Amino acid sequence: MTDTLEQIQSAVKIASFKSRGRSVEKRRAKNPNKPSAAWTITSRIGTESGIALSIVLSTIGCAHARSDEGGCTMCSYLLDGSSRNPSSDELFNQFQDAMSKLDKESAPLAVKIYTSGSFLDTEEIPSDARNQILKAIADDDRIREVVLESRPEYVQDSIIAEVRAILDDRIIEIGMGLESSSDVVRSLCINKNFDLKSFREAVEIGKKHNVGTRAYVLLKPPFLTERDALLDAKQTVRDAIDAGVSTISLNPVNVQSSTLVEKLWKKQRFRPPWLWSVVEVLRYAHDAAKNSVNVVCDPAAAGKKRGTHNCGKCDTAFVSAIRQFSLTLDVHVFDDLTCDCQSLWEHTLKHEDVSLLVHR
Amino acid sequence: MTEFRVGRGHDGPARIGEYIMGTEVFETPLLTGHSISNEKMLQYGTLGRDPSNSRPTIAALPFSMKFEDIDKAGLGDFDSVLLPSLISFSSLDDQTSVLTLRHQLDAVDEIKETVDPSRLIVRIPENIDIDDFKSYIDDFHSKGIRAAAFMFDGYLGSTDLDSIILRSNLPASWLALALGKIDPSTVPLLYYTGFDVIDTGYAYETAATGVRLWRNDSEHIETGKQQRICSCVHCESIAGAKHSDLIDILQNHNLDVYVSILSESVYAMKSGRLRWLVESMTHVSPNQASIQRQVDKQIYSFIEEFTPTTGADNVPLIGPESYNSPAVKRYRDLLEARYTPPEGKQIVLLLPCSAKKPYSDSKSHRRFLESIEGALGSASGRVAQVILTSPLGIVPRELERIFPAANYDIPVTGDWDAEETSLGAEALITYLNKLDPSCTVVAHVSGGYLGIVKAAESRVSQSIIYTTPEASATSWESRQALQETLVDLKRVLQLKDTPPRQLEEIVRATADFQFGTGAGNILVPKNAKLGGKPYRQIVCRIDKEQICSFIADTGLLSLTLGGAKLIAPLNRYWVRLDAPFVKGGSIFAVGIKEADLSIRPGDEVIVLNNQDEVIAVGRSEMSGREMCELKRGRAVSVRHKVEV
Repeated sequence: MTDTLEQIQSAVKIASFKSRGRSVEKRRAKNPNKPSAAWTITSRIGTESGIALSIVLSTIGCAHARSDEGGCTMCSYLLDGSSRNPSSDELFNQFQDAMSKLDKESAPLAVKIYTSGSFLDTEEIPSDARNQILKAIADDDRIREVVLESRPEYVQDSIIAEVRAILDDRIIEIGMGLESSSDVVRSLCINKNFDLKSFREAVEIGKKHNVGTRAYVLLKPPFLTERDALLDAKQTVRDAIDAGVSTISLNPVNVQSSTLVEKLWKKQRFRPPWLWSVVEVLRYAHDAAKNSVNVVCDPAAAGKKRGTHNCGKCDTAFVSAIRQFSLTLDVHVFDDLTCDCQSLWEHTLKHEDVSLLVHR
Repeated sequence: MTEFRVGRGHDGPARIGEYIMGTEVFETPLLTGHSISNEKMLQYGTLGRDPSNSRPTIAALPFSMKFEDIDKAGLGDFDSVLLPSLISFSSLDDQTSVLTLRHQLDAVDEIKETVDPSRLIVRIPENIDIDDFKSYIDDFHSKGIRAAAFMFDGYLGSTDLDSIILRSNLPASWLALALGKIDPSTVPLLYYTGFDVIDTGYAYETAATGVRLWRNDSEHIETGKQQRICSCVHCESIAGAKHSDLIDILQNHNLDVYVSILSESVYAMKSGRLRWLVESMTHVSPNQASIQRQVDKQIYSFIEEFTPTTGADNVPLIGPESYNSPAVKRYRDLLEARYTPPEGKQIVLLLPCSAKKPYSDSKSHRRFLESIEGALGSASGRVAQVILTSPLGIVPRELERIFPAANYDIPVTGDWDAEETSLGAEALITYLNKLDPSCTVVAHVSGGYLGIVKAAESRVSQSIIYTTPEASATSWESRQALQETLVDLKRVLQLKDTPPRQLEEIVRATADFQFGTGAGNILVPKNAKLGGKPYRQIVCRIDKEQICSFIADTGLLSLTLGGAKLIAPLNRYWVRLDAPFVKGGSIFAVGIKEADLSIRPGDEVIVLNNQDEVIAVGRSEMSGREMCELKRGRAVSVRHKVEV
């Protein structure tokens, strides 16, 4: 990178840090025995349909977001976490509390564990708590699939070997926020602080232990035009598939509080991506995946002004088609989507590039 | 090589010119867009993303494009190139704005082997500090870049105003582009403030949402709803058109609205009425009015610098936007700074203005003059006549033929607002304070004019006699009252006869106004001989040598070489050449070494050679700054020159 690009990156870091303000300090101490959130949805599990439980453990949150590095420009998930790090026992209590939602469900089940940070970071989740949780899953025959989430630097050979050993023959997937395969976009626009190489290494470690990897692909970080963002997401999908991931999860940026994205959005200098763009990336991903890689998308705040949206008239139809696609991988659900706002989206693609004026 | 050539003509910073891209020559001002409706428009697109074109285009470089890929991406040999930048990044703070300029500067170095710098266009970030802006523009200038693109978000708020203000700090030789959301009603203002290329992207954006643009309005087209009548060829088939066809129809219609309003603006510029057009657009919306007022307030000196000394025969001054228009404010400023009332005046007669200009040609003023003559006879020369008017303030009789005093046209209702009254009172105070306190002021005015005098009264030292405060100044009774007052004053003040000095008073006052205080006494010394008529031409000679002549049509003086030599020591309105003498009838900017920065287009200028000798006089075609900065273009039309 040139000196100037390094200075741009450092300016983004500072701006991202400033946008957090006192939001991280002001987090309240939550009940350490309850998870931040837990919900179940119908989901694809292997080739069948079943119930997936998502658990967001209440932890101190992402180390990158807590640090002077400022965290990612679009993310304030750590605000769901707690100001005090729970003990290992408390973490296990959180897990059990969430698992009660599956009491009446039958196989096949999936469990996804999120932490607003990294499940494999021992500062967030001590290894005894991690292993206790994984063993509890291993003891539950109904659970066929386990999804964990982590930054790639914590996806280390010894840890993955241990995870594999505990979970035995379960389908395991580690979700990682690749966001963009462009190092420039990931560092300048997202402030994510790792490079493509460490992501690729994590995927390789996963493969070695028959652990799948899920690439979170970000659609439209700040400082990109709609078309920059669209093209970058497609390229990222392509690169993630080439790296050997098992799932592509497309995440259109939504405007989260106390982030740089929110600051720009309030100044009319950011618009979340169009649903048209989301659909175009999903179509592309579906083609590129050739049915060997899973493609999912569960957009947050979709159809709302803080989330991916179109003109307002067609948003509901788009969002339901996207959810349908994630369940079925059937790309034809998009075939009937039409709306007058398509021309405006196409205009935005062309005109933002030339004018560098954000089209709202 | 790509080149921007500024052509001849000005009305404010607005100009015409040519943008030469290879073999294609685009006349500026110029419209640009993704879709163009005629070959005079310039197309733009994004390199590697939009289809390339056989004609030259403006190609935007995506931030992510690697510089080594530019060639393969299909850049045309004569395409201009918008340098890469990160959208919204400069909105963070003034330092990030600087970084986006620095990044573009790096890019210039990377691609200058592939793309000649003359083809590059700098994107000006928002939030940039003016001094940073100037210093970076210097850097780009030294690398050969001559074009800058400014962003408009269409709200006519601080972003748009900042872009206009930044543009006012661009060197005169640079091409200025306005990109973003630009409503047709803003086109005259952008042209007026010196933008040469204007984005029509909004024509498509509105079309895509079913909106038909009008010159100063817009209309949402809905099927089954009554529509406005449009006689344009595109709208013939609008009734019952399918959505996709409707977009095309509206886009073509909307583009034509841009074409039409730009053409209207250019025509107005050429006839000296662009300011009037711009002022008329302030009624489109409150935002339009506020940005216009902010422009007048914040970059008045830039607008004034390029506003010609003379203008249209008829200058309508209609609303508050006119009070500080450059021609008007400059008149007031010059009058205050340069005008000295003639000597020997004992009475100051304040008169109302007339609709017909010059005032002397109006019926009312002919009668006022008869009353003066009737009352004072050969002592009439003891009276200084001053006309009160808005928004010029005051016009001394000697200057009634100067621009814009002889040309302005205002709605006359007799009701003056507070600002007008205050402008008039200030001008009157300044004027009277230049006169002997023993002078007697006769105020032959009523209504709003009276308000001006009353507002000034406590701040002047002369005593004021009101002739007819209750009735119209032009009525027979009022004129009788005026005559009686003057007859009384002649007796009380024991006014002595004085030879007529009207010609020298006109020439002296005009000389001071035109060339600065002192010029009048130099060009019309005691021994000067004057001949001619105020309504045609007055010739001034010293020892039989013609020095200058006053041309009634323009209200200005033309100098001879002799006159120019006399006032050269004042060190004003000079143009210095890098040559011993003048060849031909025009002087081009390229041959000018230095010029007085106070020169405006249309000024009478004195041409000096490299030995500082007067070698010609003529009329400037551009402002002094342009003479210094431009490498091309006619700078002075020579009237007289030293023959060799």
